[in-house]
Amino acid sequence: MLEKTERVITVNAVYRCPLRVVREHYLRPCVPCNSALCSQPEYCCNVGKLLPAEVTHYMVPDSSVFDYFEILEMPELKGVIWLQTVTDALHSKRGWRYCNKLRSLLKDPSHECVLFANEYHVSCYHCEGSPVLCSRIIYAAALWYYKHCGEKIPIIIVADEDSTKRYKVKSKGVYVMTFKEYLNKFYSDLEAAHNSCDFIDEALYEEKLESLEASGINYNKYLPPDILEAGLKSGLKVLGKMGQGQLDGRHVVGITQKHKRDYIVTFPSKEDILYYSRKTKKYLAVPWDYRIPRIRISRKQAEKYQFCRAIIHIDSWDTDSRYPDGHVVGTLGTGGDLEGEMKSLLMEHDISERPFSEAQMGELPVNTAEKPWSVDHEEQDRKDLRKTHLVFTIDPKGCEDVDDALSVRTLSSGNLELGVHIADVTYFVKPKSHLDKEARARATTYYLPDRRYDMLPSVLSSNLCSLLRGVDRYAMSVIWELDMTTYEIKKVWYGRSIIHSTYQLSYEAAQELLDGNLSITGNIEEFQDMEEKEKEDRLQELTWAIEKLADIASHFRAQRGLDGALDLDGIEISVLLDEEKNILDLVPRQQRRIHRMVAECMILANHWVARKIYESFPRQALLRRHPPPRQNLFSELKQSAKAGGFHIDTSSNRALALSLDNAYDVSDPMVNKLLRNMATLAMSNALYFSTGSCREREFHHYGLGLDKYTHFTSPIRRYADIIVHRLLIAAIAEDKTKTELNLLSDRCLEELCDHINERHRAAKLCQRQATELFQCHFFRDKDADRDERCVADGIIYAFRDTAVQLYIPRYGIKGTANLKTKDGCVLHFGANGEKIGWVPGALWRSHKQADCVTSSGQGVTFRIFEHVTVKISVQAQQYHPNSLRLEILSKKPYLDPEARHTPKSSPSPTRELVEENSKENIPEEYRQFQQTKGESLYTLLEEMKNLAIQDISNNL
Amino acid sequence: MAGLELLSDQGYRVDGRRAGELRKIQARMGVFAQADGSAYIEQGNTKALAVVYGPHEIRGSRSRALPDRALVNCQYSSATFSTAERKRRPHGDRKSCELGLQLRQTFEAAILTQLHPRSQIDIYVQVLQADGGTYAACVNAATLAVLDAGIPMRDFVCACSAGFVDGTALTDLSHVEEASGSPQLALALLPASGQIALLEMDARLHEDHLEQVLEAAAQAARGVHTLLDRVVRQHVREASILLGD
Repeated sequence: MLEKTERVITVNAVYRCPLRVVREHYLRPCVPCNSALCSQPEYCCNVGKLLPAEVTHYMVPDSSVFDYFEILEMPELKGVIWLQTVTDALHSKRGWRYCNKLRSLLKDPSHECVLFANEYHVSCYHCEGSPVLCSRIIYAAALWYYKHCGEKIPIIIVADEDSTKRYKVKSKGVYVMTFKEYLNKFYSDLEAAHNSCDFIDEALYEEKLESLEASGINYNKYLPPDILEAGLKSGLKVLGKMGQGQLDGRHVVGITQKHKRDYIVTFPSKEDILYYSRKTKKYLAVPWDYRIPRIRISRKQAEKYQFCRAIIHIDSWDTDSRYPDGHVVGTLGTGGDLEGEMKSLLMEHDISERPFSEAQMGELPVNTAEKPWSVDHEEQDRKDLRKTHLVFTIDPKGCEDVDDALSVRTLSSGNLELGVHIADVTYFVKPKSHLDKEARARATTYYLPDRRYDMLPSVLSSNLCSLLRGVDRYAMSVIWELDMTTYEIKKVWYGRSIIHSTYQLSYEAAQELLDGNLSITGNIEEFQDMEEKEKEDRLQELTWAIEKLADIASHFRAQRGLDGALDLDGIEISVLLDEEKNILDLVPRQQRRIHRMVAECMILANHWVARKIYESFPRQALLRRHPPPRQNLFSELKQSAKAGGFHIDTSSNRALALSLDNAYDVSDPMVNKLLRNMATLAMSNALYFSTGSCREREFHHYGLGLDKYTHFTSPIRRYADIIVHRLLIAAIAEDKTKTELNLLSDRCLEELCDHINERHRAAKLCQRQATELFQCHFFRDKDADRDERCVADGIIYAFRDTAVQLYIPRYGIKGTANLKTKDGCVLHFGANGEKIGWVPGALWRSHKQADCVTSSGQGVTFRIFEHVTVKISVQAQQYHPNSLRLEILSKKPYLDPEARHTPKSSPSPTRELVEENSKENIPEEYRQFQQTKGESLYTLLEEMKNLAIQDISNNL
Repeated sequence: MAGLELLSDQGYRVDGRRAGELRKIQARMGVFAQADGSAYIEQGNTKALAVVYGPHEIRGSRSRALPDRALVNCQYSSATFSTAERKRRPHGDRKSCELGLQLRQTFEAAILTQLHPRSQIDIYVQVLQADGGTYAACVNAATLAVLDAGIPMRDFVCACSAGFVDGTALTDLSHVEEASGSPQLALALLPASGQIALLEMDARLHEDHLEQVLEAAAQAARGVHTLLDRVVRQHVREASILLGD
């Protein structure tokens, strides 16, 4: 205490008009230098991020280089020392927004830059305080730093041209240069930085020369920030978020905060180059995302990057320009190849593919061949389940990150005990650690057809956390005691445990065991070298467990069904790849009973954990809700179902589930699948939220029919689960004060939820687009006219103005096929149903059917849920992602040998009833209202009109 | 938030101190010959003078005399030039009355008033420069002056302020930190016994944080005590040398 007070006081005078305020300024002999080369580490007390020792120099930006801030943000620039003098100048010149940017840069462990608080250091401080003499302070600090690091590493001060003249270089070891010189010398291969630098130089130069000219303004300018703020305070203006919601009759008058991102563009080739203006000589580049307007690029850059896929940063949008201005910051190759396309996709969704940094990897436990990691047997408060429980995992084949395991056994009381064991990730990932921050930023593991971007380093995700077979692992367990006959839950226990998984089954193997097909054991590794007798016993034990689990799961599923749970499945496609990443085949993923069993156990665990954490922390628990869908989104489903003779009631989730069950066509099981898929598309997205920010009745999960739900079972690949784990640990801890420190407040949690929701949406979208990309690549190499893989069976499920919506079960593709072209031609079929070609004609459609009538009077009718033969080809796009094109080849169903053998899903007991009803219903309706089944007179006249407009002279 | 950053990410305050550090304190005792006791203190840029008269007979109305203990009379005033803006500050305005009352309560708790029944002790404090923590500086100056006057006290009274910014307690707030509007607490402590002579806070602070802020203020007050103790010892040593000669 005493030591600290005896410091030299110097008086720092800050001039403000008209007052003269004197402030104290305390200096200290030791300020952390944050360098790995520190010569007096015991004196500096460095904590946190350090500057690396293995760079060639350290760089000190001067306050005159804020214009190049964008370049300084690049992680490639290493060893940057931000002086406090500079950051203060940044604050006063550019405002707090820039300051916050810098602050997050300093916090980011992947950026090797530190702040040196030179103003508080005795030997770096000069009493002058005048901003003109800023350069002397910076120089003094740089010199001190150079000496402090043992004169081992040169320091380079980077300034703009005017400021470099102010520096008087007195000693070796500290150099001064301009930004351009610096980049040329040290980062000559960093193209993005050079481009940005050129552009900024150019802009600064132009700014200097140009005086503002008035020109014809097309757009309204946004309101300045102060007026916006006043408007917001008075309530005349409303703050909203763009991107997801509708504007509902409002319009944008200003922007308070931007989400800046870069865009992928393609430069047009020389022939079809699009000049924007002859005066400015700017070219137009076409963004990859078709929703983004074209972007103006300077000629120099455009010529350099012809035919390239490039990353573009948008700089400004003049009010008198139709297009925004931008500049190139990087390239992704020429486009068209799979790797380039994937990169674009990742970039578009802001998915980082950079590896984990040193600091993050340093926090991992040691696990080498000599010193393998093992569980700590001293860990007191864990329940040891290794000897007592038969634990096994069921996952897809080749899965590395196993995060859930199951167990079931009979207790001495005769009751059953069901256990769900989840990898204990929070044991390894401590709150606020670098690893935690990184995981939080990534928020989820991104699964793409041919690769994966992990949320956690692979040491954790596929080894230490992963519940592998035959090793001891830490877990978080939820264990229920169930009544032996009614499966009513008697007791529930939550806690940390140690488990030892005995079997690591694939879904296929587990399904075989469930079906009683025991011959599969030959393929299960665990059984391979086992005595015949023992094998039989073990097998019996395992089969009993799986059967019991399946039984319990179906019980809980039925219970949820009463509460309105829906059976929804989106169409998922797996891409089969060979070793060289060539696409072998596309197969729709199949949902089998075993999948549902595992999913049900996880839902149960999630539900009970949600109940527990909500009970303990009613204001700050992370739950997941699924808002009910908007009714108008169901209109297509209702129309299609009605046309097929079914009635869909969407008033509640229960009614919807029931009516979907009833909408079953015995002759064609695909109809039900399609209807379910259409219902899935109408659903809104499920969201994470903090319980403090929402009313309790909004917690409901529509799809699962549960009042409370969260995500608990996949902490290896979802960050939300990690938070839930921490909440659960805090909820069950005896000593609350210690664990509750790790929890987030309601507001922080809500912010985090927004972030996770956004990332999940990006992950989902990216995955879907990547799958589409692989689809295109699969069909691209095939000759659409000859290869029989390009022809498949399609089902019509909706009608558009001039096209039909088709679903192709073989590949899980949905798309549209044209019936009428823009120049008025319709499809023409021969007598055998084969397509002959396009002839002029008319198209008439209702919800139930579409009729193509040629000018010569021959017609063909497409009915809903009709099977047709479809040809799949790829429509190449120059600027945007490729898309698939569907074409109807024949009116007859294509007899796909595989389609005939689709596994029959379990028959619904109500199906026969529905069948009878639907047969009865249709004719009755017609009888009652005396309607003719065909077209009305009006539609007939419409058809005539269509024919009249058509020029058929060529055909005659 | 826009504006000044009170506590940087690196843990520095605006003036370069860390959260728990005090400003530089310098003090002298016996600055006036006429008074029974006097002292001058500088806490950073806050400067205060304290003068003590007494114990003496009750001045003015005799009816104010207390039969069992001494009457402590405190007056606070601040100089026209004490703040950045020059302003006449008349006696008896609301703010100085309040501070006078607070000082009186503080010193009634510390001075052994029962030793001097029917008498009066006057404490006059003037602030020469106000740069945050006026109350604390007044109390510390007055303590030294009372000691200088040789009036028996239970213990030193040491005061310090503390604030709460971004989840951290800051001790000994300067003017800039006070003006930011964050919650602030003033504490006068009897360090030997750890008893609180006065605790004052008029901003909103969540009760979970109170303990943390209180602990920081008490810690700072103990720090002030060591410093004042040194000043007193130094003063006694000088005085005894003079007397010895």
